[in-house]
Amino acid sequence: MTGLAITGILLFAILVVAHLMPYSPTEMSFTAVLKPPSWEHIFGTDSFGRDVFTRVLYGARISLLISVCGVALAMSIGTAIGMTAAYFGRLYDLVAMRFMDLLFSFPSFVLALFLMVILGFGVVNVMFAIALVYMPLFARLAHNMTLVVREEPYVQAARATGQPSIRLLLREILPNIAAPLMVQASIGVAFGIIIEAGLSFLGLGVQPPTPSLGVIMADGQEYFRRAPWVLTMSGLAVCFALLGLNLLGDGLRDLVDPRLRQRAE
Amino acid sequence: MNEERSVATISRRTLVKGAAAGSAACLVPWSKMAWAAQDCSTLRAGIAGYSVVNVLDPAKASLIPEFYVIWALFNCLLKFNEKMELVGDLAESWEHTSPTLWRFKLRDGVTFHDGAPMTAEDVKFTLDRVRAKDGDSPHKDKFASISDIRVVDPLTVEIEMAEPFAPLLSYLANARTGSQIVPKHLLDGGDERSFADRPVGTGAYKFVSHQPNVEIVLEGHSGYFVPDQPFIPNVTMPLIPEEASGVTALLGGAIDLTSTAPFADVPNLMQNPKVKVLRSPGLNTRFIALNHQTAPFDDVHFRRALSMAFDREAMVQIVLFGEGTAANGLIPAALSWAHEPKRRPLMSFDPERAKAELEKSKYGPGTEAVVLTWGAGWWKRFAELFAAQVNETLGTRLRVEVSEANTVYSRLRAKDYQASIWGWLGLIDPDEYTYEILHTDGWRNFHGYSNKDVDALLERARGEMDQARRGEIYKQAESLMAEDAPVICCFESHVHNLMTPEVNGFVQLPYSAFGGQLAAVTSC
Amino acid sequence: MKTLRYFIGRLLIAVTMMVIGALAVFLVMKAAPGDPALAALGEQATPDAIAAFRAEHGLDAPLIEQFVSWLRDMIGGDFGRSLTIAGGESISKLIAGRLPNTIFVGLYAVLFATAISLVIGSVAALRRGKLSDTLATSVAAVGVSMPDFWLGYVLILLFALTLGWLPSYGFTSPFESLSGALVTGLLPALAISAPMAAVFARTLRTSLLENAQRDYVTVARSFGFSERFVFRHYVFRNSIIPYIVIIGLQIRYLLGGVVVVERVFGVPGVGSLMVDAAFARDYPVVQACTIVFLAIVLSVNLTVDVTCAALDPKRTQ
Repeated sequence: MTGLAITGILLFAILVVAHLMPYSPTEMSFTAVLKPPSWEHIFGTDSFGRDVFTRVLYGARISLLISVCGVALAMSIGTAIGMTAAYFGRLYDLVAMRFMDLLFSFPSFVLALFLMVILGFGVVNVMFAIALVYMPLFARLAHNMTLVVREEPYVQAARATGQPSIRLLLREILPNIAAPLMVQASIGVAFGIIIEAGLSFLGLGVQPPTPSLGVIMADGQEYFRRAPWVLTMSGLAVCFALLGLNLLGDGLRDLVDPRLRQRAE
Repeated sequence: MNEERSVATISRRTLVKGAAAGSAACLVPWSKMAWAAQDCSTLRAGIAGYSVVNVLDPAKASLIPEFYVIWALFNCLLKFNEKMELVGDLAESWEHTSPTLWRFKLRDGVTFHDGAPMTAEDVKFTLDRVRAKDGDSPHKDKFASISDIRVVDPLTVEIEMAEPFAPLLSYLANARTGSQIVPKHLLDGGDERSFADRPVGTGAYKFVSHQPNVEIVLEGHSGYFVPDQPFIPNVTMPLIPEEASGVTALLGGAIDLTSTAPFADVPNLMQNPKVKVLRSPGLNTRFIALNHQTAPFDDVHFRRALSMAFDREAMVQIVLFGEGTAANGLIPAALSWAHEPKRRPLMSFDPERAKAELEKSKYGPGTEAVVLTWGAGWWKRFAELFAAQVNETLGTRLRVEVSEANTVYSRLRAKDYQASIWGWLGLIDPDEYTYEILHTDGWRNFHGYSNKDVDALLERARGEMDQARRGEIYKQAESLMAEDAPVICCFESHVHNLMTPEVNGFVQLPYSAFGGQLAAVTSC
Repeated sequence: MKTLRYFIGRLLIAVTMMVIGALAVFLVMKAAPGDPALAALGEQATPDAIAAFRAEHGLDAPLIEQFVSWLRDMIGGDFGRSLTIAGGESISKLIAGRLPNTIFVGLYAVLFATAISLVIGSVAALRRGKLSDTLATSVAAVGVSMPDFWLGYVLILLFALTLGWLPSYGFTSPFESLSGALVTGLLPALAISAPMAAVFARTLRTSLLENAQRDYVTVARSFGFSERFVFRHYVFRNSIIPYIVIIGLQIRYLLGGVVVVERVFGVPGVGSLMVDAAFARDYPVVQACTIVFLAIVLSVNLTVDVTCAALDPKRTQ
C-alpha cells in the first residue's frame, strides 16, 4: 500500500541516503550562503551555507526519533494506566481516568509548551512533552477496550484458573487490544512531528547544532521572503513524512477494523 | 510544487463553496477600502517585534515598545537629531554657567494635552520625581549627581550638580532615560496608576486608548508647539509580536510604517518598489557576555584568544545579512566622537595570534563551555556562528544552549552562566556603553569585571565637559578594555524603518525614536 | 432524577478538575526558572524595583498561600489583574476581549472544515474504490499532514502578497465589523480548517461506509428505495453522531492549539494570550486561561455527550 511505500522510502532516505550525502548537516560554508536549489544542492542552502537536503534528512531522523520515542512512552504508560484502571476498577479507576481526562482537556500544544518552559529545551524534554500529550489518549483507548475484553469468556476462564492479574493483563488482554493502539500510535507519531515542529518554530525545541524539521522550518521562516526554499522544502518534508505515516495508519486501520473488513468488495 | 497542488485544491474548494465565494468576492473591494488608509487621516505605525506595553509613565517605563509610544506623547528638555547632535526640544536654549550649573530657558506657549501650560515647575517636578532616592524609577541612578533643581521663573530652570557630570545633557534628551516632562498638576499627589494607563504629556499626539497586546490609538494634539505639526491627525500603533509579520502587514497594506524590519528581508525590500526602506548605523552593541567568576572565562588569555578567533565581518554578513558593522569596542560608530575608527588588532580575526594566546592560557583546546541564547531567529544564529567559528579556530568545544530571553536575563543577573550572547539597544551616551557595563560598580556589569585603571578613566570621563577631550578618554579606556576582553564585542546592527512610498517626512534616528518621529510625517 | 444526579455528579467532577488543573499549572509555572519581575520591568530593573514589585504582588509569600488567595478571589468572580504582559489590566477584560476572536475564527474554521469534508467524505464513500475515492482520500491525507502554520505562510504568500485579494495580517473583531472579521479571518480559518477537514472527511467516510452496510439499510434497499434516498435518509443521518463527537474533540485544538497560526496572522486569541503569559511568567493570566479552557472543554464534552445520547438511534428503537 501507498502508506507503507512512502514510509519505506522515508526510512530508507533518512537511514541510508543521509550517510551517502557528501555534506554534513552541521558543516558551515560562508561562500555558499542561501543558495537556491541546484544540482549541487538539491534543496539549496541555508543561512550558514549548510546543505538543506542533508539537514532535512538528519532532521527527519531526529524528528521521527523524538516522535516515536515520545509516542512509545505515551503508549506504554498510557496503556498500562488504562488497562489497570479498567481491570481493577473502583477508586483507582475513577482517579486515574479523571486525571487522564484533565490532561486531555488541555490543548496539546499548550501542555507541551508548559513542560518545555519548566524543563527547558532539548531532545529529551520534547519527547517527554509529546509523551505527556498522548498519554491520555492511549489510556482512554486502552481503558475502553479493556472494559469490553474483560468480559470475554477466555478472560473469565483465565481468571477462574487463578492466573495472577499481571500475567492475565499481559497475556490475555493486551494482545487483543493491541491493534487499535498501534493504529493510534502511527497517527500519534505523525502529530508528534507536528508538535515538535510547532515547538521548535516558537524557539523551544531541540538544542543546536542538532537539526530537526521544526528547527529548519523556524530558521527558514526568518528569511522566508528572501530564500523561500528552506521553509518550503522542510515543510514539504514534514508533509511527506506525515503523509506516509497517516496512510500507513489508515491502511492499518482498514486492516484491523473488523467491521470495515467484512464486507469489503 | 506543493503550492500548485494547494492552489488546485483550494480553487476546487472555492468552486464547491460557490455561495461563500460569491459573497467573499463582494466583500473584496469593500474590504480593500475599509482597511486601507483613507485620505491619510490615520497613520498606521506598526510596532513590530513587541507586544507588551505595561506602563506609559516615563519615569516608570523601561520596555522598548513603551518608549516608542512615550516618544509620541511627551517631550524632554532636549532631543537628538539624526546626527546625534543635541538640539532643544522643550528648552529653547541652555547655558553652562559653571561646571556644575546648567540653566535652561524653556519655550513659551507649550501646553499639555489637557490644555494646562507647561512651566518650569513641571520640569522640576519631573526630574525630582525620577531621581528620588526613595522612588522606584529604574532611571534614578542616571540623575544621581543632581544636587538641586531650582525654578528661577516660569520659563527658566537651573540644575545644580554635585560634581561635573558630562552625560547629563544626553540623559535630559528624549531617549530612554525617563526624563520626559510630565504634568505636575496631575501627578503631584495624584494617582500614578491611572496616569500610567492614561498618560498626559506635551507631545504631538495624545493618548486615546490602549488595547493590551493589540494596539494603541493616539490623536493629534492641537496645541503642539511646533507649528503645523502633527500633520496627520490620527495614529494607530498596532502591536505586532513577530517582526516578519510586520513586513507582511506592510506589504499587504494593513499598516503604513514599521518600527523595525527583519535583517533577512532588508536587501530584498530595498529592491521592492512598493516599499521604502530607511536604514542607518544604529546605536546598539552586541557582544558575548562572559562570566569572569567561572572557568574558563576567568583567564584573560583565554578571553583574548576568543576575541581573535572569529571573523566579525563574516558574522555581520551571515547573522545580520549584512545589516550591521563589525564592532571595534562597545561604543558604536554612530557616537562618532567617542568611537575609535582604527581597527583594534585584539578585535580582529587573527587565528595565529588567537592560538598563541590559547597557549598562554591555562585552558587549552578541548575546553568546554556553554553559550546561552534564546529564540529561533538571529540571536540563536549569533551564538551558533560564534561557537562554530571559535571551535574551528581553537579546537575548543563550546556548546550553544537555547533558552528563553527571560530565563537568560535572570541567569545573567544572578551570574549563573558561563557565556551568553547579550547586547544593549538604544543607549545614547558613551557613559552608558562603558561605565555602566565595564566599571566595577556598573549596574550592567554582569561579568564581574574590575579594572582600577579603566574605572579611573571612566570616572574622569564623566567629569570632562569638553566633548573632544572626553571622546579621547573613552578611546583610551576602550583600548585598555580590549586588552582584558571582558566581553567579546561583536557588532552593531543597523536600524530600519519600512514604509509605503506615500509616507513622507519620516526622519530616522540611530536609536529609532519611533513615536517621536511621527509628528513630522506629512503624508501616507 | 437519575439524569439530574448524573448531571450534578459531572458538574462536581468538572469543578474539581478545574481547581486541580489550575493548581497544577500554578506549581508548574512557579517551578520554572525566570522571574516575572524582570519580565515586567525590563532590562533596566534595579534590585530595589524588583524587590518592590515582588512585595507588591505577594510573590514571596508561601506557595499555598498565594494559590489559596487566588482561588478565593476566583470564586468571588475576580479573575485578578495581569502581572507582566498587560500591566495591571483586568484579566477578565483581557480574556473577554480575546475569547470572541478565538470563537469566531474557530467557528469559521469548523464551517470550512465541515463544508469541505462533507463533499470529500461523501464523494469518497459513495464512490468507494473508484478513482474519486482515492483522490478524495489522498486530498484528505495530505490535508492532515500539513502543519497549520506552514499552510498559513503559503496562503499568505499566495492570496495576500501575490494576488492581493486578502489582508496579510491583522484581525478585526467581529464586534467592530462583521464583514471585516469575515475578511481578515478567512485565511487563518482556512489554514486551521485544512487538517480538521481531513479528519472530518475520514470520519465521515468511515462512518458512512459502516452505516451503508447496516442491516436496516439493506432492508430499506430491498424495499426498492433509490440509492440516493437510502443514502440521505438512513445512512447520512446516522453518521452525524461521530461527526459531532469529532467536532467536540477539536475544541481543545481550536482554543489553544492554533497559537502559531494566531501569531502568524496576528489574531488576538486566547491561545496566544496563554503562551505569551507563560513566557512572561504572568501567573494570574495563565491560571485564569486554564480555568477558562477547562470550563469550555468540559462543558463542550458534556454537551456532546448529552447530544449524542439524545440522537442515538438505539434509544428510539
